[in-house]
Amino acid sequence: MESRKQGIPLFSATCFLVGMLVVIQLWLLSASMEELAAGDVPPLARAAVASAILFAANFGLVRYVLAFDRRQRRSTGD
Amino acid sequence: MSDAKRVRLPRWREDFPVKWEDDHYVTRRELAKFLTLGSALLAGANAVVAVVGARRKPETYEPRRVASASAIAPGQSMLFRYPSDDDPCVLVRMRDGTLAAFSQVCTHLSCAVVYRPDEERLFCPCHNGAFACSGGHGGARPVAGPPERALPRIAIELRDDEVWALGVER
Repeated sequence: MESRKQGIPLFSATCFLVGMLVVIQLWLLSASMEELAAGDVPPLARAAVASAILFAANFGLVRYVLAFDRRQRRSTGD
Repeated sequence: MSDAKRVRLPRWREDFPVKWEDDHYVTRRELAKFLTLGSALLAGANAVVAVVGARRKPETYEPRRVASASAIAPGQSMLFRYPSDDDPCVLVRMRDGTLAAFSQVCTHLSCAVVYRPDEERLFCPCHNGAFACSGGHGGARPVAGPPERALPRIAIELRDDEVWALGVER
């Protein structure tokens, strides 16, 4: 069932999702720096944990599509 | 396709395919990898910010004489600098006679705030921001305009009619 035609929308959707999560990480970083400048320390650890979770989600997604890509290339012999 | 034939294909052919469809595929793959690398860097930067915040030592302040308390009438204010000469502050005597001191640097874009006795507010003329002077603890909370964070309060003490600054409450 897997084909390169399936792969293109899969990669597009993954890129979009990963891009959204990266934007959230950017927002977290800017908010953390503002809190640091204001001397408010407690939210910083929570923001770092949230950012790490988002990175893990990104990593998992990209790993999944790369595995899909590898399987697909193996099957077509490209 | 046999394993022997697959090994003979050069690696560059994966990144420079002939067909348009394959080219779009490679571009998306590289973008996904690039975004994940960016995500890792952002997560690292957030961790660094958290570590810097956790390792920051609490600030210590030297007491400093500000002014004579009797020199400021109710509804008046005076400027001073604390804790260093680069930190402008404003000492206000509210209409009920209470003394309070705050940083003069607006938390929005660092303009200098001025005291408005009729409203008992510190007003920022740059973007019409305002901070309420009332309330004995914490900074002057923002009540109008773009500022979102409170103005730091300067802890003060009266010693024989002299106003002394003791610290900064953020």
